Amino acid sequence: MFDEKDLLIDARHVTRRFPTNDGRLLTACDDINLKFYKGKTLGLVGESGCGKSTFMRFLVWLDYPTEGEIFFHGKDITKMKGAELHENRQHIQMVFQDPSTSFNPKMKIKEIVCEPLLNFNRIKPSEMDAKARELLELVELPGDFADRFPHNMSGGQRQRVAIARAIALEPEFIVMDEATSALDVSVQKTVIELITRLQREKNIAIGFICHDLGLIESFAHQVAVMYLGNIVEVMPGEGLSDVCCHPYSRALLNSVFDTKMDFTKKIENIKGEPPSPLDLPPGCPFSNRCPHCTERCEHEKPKLVELTPGHEVACHRFSK
Amino acid sequence: MSLLEIKNVDISYGKNLTVKNCSLNLEKGEICSIVGESGSGKTTVIRAVMGLLPGAGRVSAGDITYDGIDLLKLTHKEWRKLRGHDVSMIFQDSGAMMNQTRLIGDSYVEYIMTHEDISRKDAWAKGVEMIERMRLPDGDRVMRSYPFQLSGGQRQRVGIAMGMTYQPKLLLADEPTSALDVTTQAQIVRQFMELRDEYGTSIIIVTHNLGVAAYMGDKIVVMKRGEVVDQGERGYILHQSTNPYTKLLLDAVPTLGGKRYV
Repeated sequence: MFDEKDLLIDARHVTRRFPTNDGRLLTACDDINLKFYKGKTLGLVGESGCGKSTFMRFLVWLDYPTEGEIFFHGKDITKMKGAELHENRQHIQMVFQDPSTSFNPKMKIKEIVCEPLLNFNRIKPSEMDAKARELLELVELPGDFADRFPHNMSGGQRQRVAIARAIALEPEFIVMDEATSALDVSVQKTVIELITRLQREKNIAIGFICHDLGLIESFAHQVAVMYLGNIVEVMPGEGLSDVCCHPYSRALLNSVFDTKMDFTKKIENIKGEPPSPLDLPPGCPFSNRCPHCTERCEHEKPKLVELTPGHEVACHRFSK
Repeated sequence: MSLLEIKNVDISYGKNLTVKNCSLNLEKGEICSIVGESGSGKTTVIRAVMGLLPGAGRVSAGDITYDGIDLLKLTHKEWRKLRGHDVSMIFQDSGAMMNQTRLIGDSYVEYIMTHEDISRKDAWAKGVEMIERMRLPDGDRVMRSYPFQLSGGQRQRVGIAMGMTYQPKLLLADEPTSALDVTTQAQIVRQFMELRDEYGTSIIIVTHNLGVAAYMGDKIVVMKRGEVVDQGERGYILHQSTNPYTKLLLDAVPTLGGKRYV
């Protein structure tokens, strides 16, 4: 469904294991294969502790995978060092979940948004005021905010500043880690509108971490669902609720409350809580909570199989 | 007569008037959702009902009546009898309200023994029973855990179990699902609905999730900057209300199969 020549980032067999204090290994990401395309958004959905943030952190060099490769323009970014790494950092930027903790409280807004530019010598310090104004206006904030401090602003305004900082270097790829979940719904809507507008204008690829399927459906081109370190389903974002078929994705979908739903509907939910990632079931990771679990699921781990182009699912019910 | 009547209430923190002229009626077995953005004063309202305004907060005008009792005139002693018995509150993170260095069971037993003349052993058994009734398997193990050893969803269930111990007539819930994952949120919402069906508990739920508010509430109250801007039956608020702010909020909720931005 996507043009292969627009392929920007290609993650292959990425695995991350953390050693624990008692000598065991915790697998946070297990053999992840994902592709990011120019100008498109990939939404990564899952519950806390499923490894979605761990994976996205590899893309911005905040952590490194134990195994696997991540290709960016054909080069493996996990092996980059020194000048090459520094050079590439400007192409991939990140927006964090909580805008109030991702800024230095003692820096002015203009210093915050211009810091990446100064780091890469794109502007002179004397040009800072003008550039800050331009960036702030790009994210629909008044240019006068340049002289404020982060604590003088509301959460939505701060998140806009975080976006301004991320796009300052005109990156090709931005990771957004739950960038809207700390915001009120009406503010969330305007931030999503801003992100999609900037994406169209600048052809930026976005990796968006989220746990709200209703939200991600409204602006992602493809959506990957993660459960306990495994990708269980990859599907197109448009019409997601009709095509999604993995039992876990369905459960996530049934947990969405919106104002147009049928209020007399009984809430069906999956049993229990996710098991500890240290103590995974031997077969399918979802087998102990799945309503369709069979004997095969308990022993054999399902692999991702393609149902239709762009739609892959890891479940024995759909494999031949 | 309504179970709870809030009439023209003003609430101030020191000299700052935070909530202006708030009125609300709640019948027995009714669920009311209060929605609004952060800082709109929704938590302040239910804290006032519980008599738990922090710091210099006080109700500066109006009346709050619960079951014929004027809540604003209660003495400290009368409050202790009412709170946790007839009126209970569930917080956003029930783990944070408990002492981190004590077992959940110890906190629970202390709570039960404050309200009832009962032996420690019986109080423990009562705690186990309530926890298991809230669908947490192995209540005894939960009682012997520290708050940080449980997941967010489990802690919230313990909080609900504590709040429901004496089957209160009125349950106040302050963002009870905001810190939880979506699937856990669905489980907790379902549990609240069952409380109403089984015990006829009246519930006020404060939330910023309009989907949850709409699913749970028979009645919805919309607040903005300390004022109630709109209130009414669910159907009215969702479909008929002409209030621009209500419309703006509803329009911003992402719906499945709804508007796409790309």
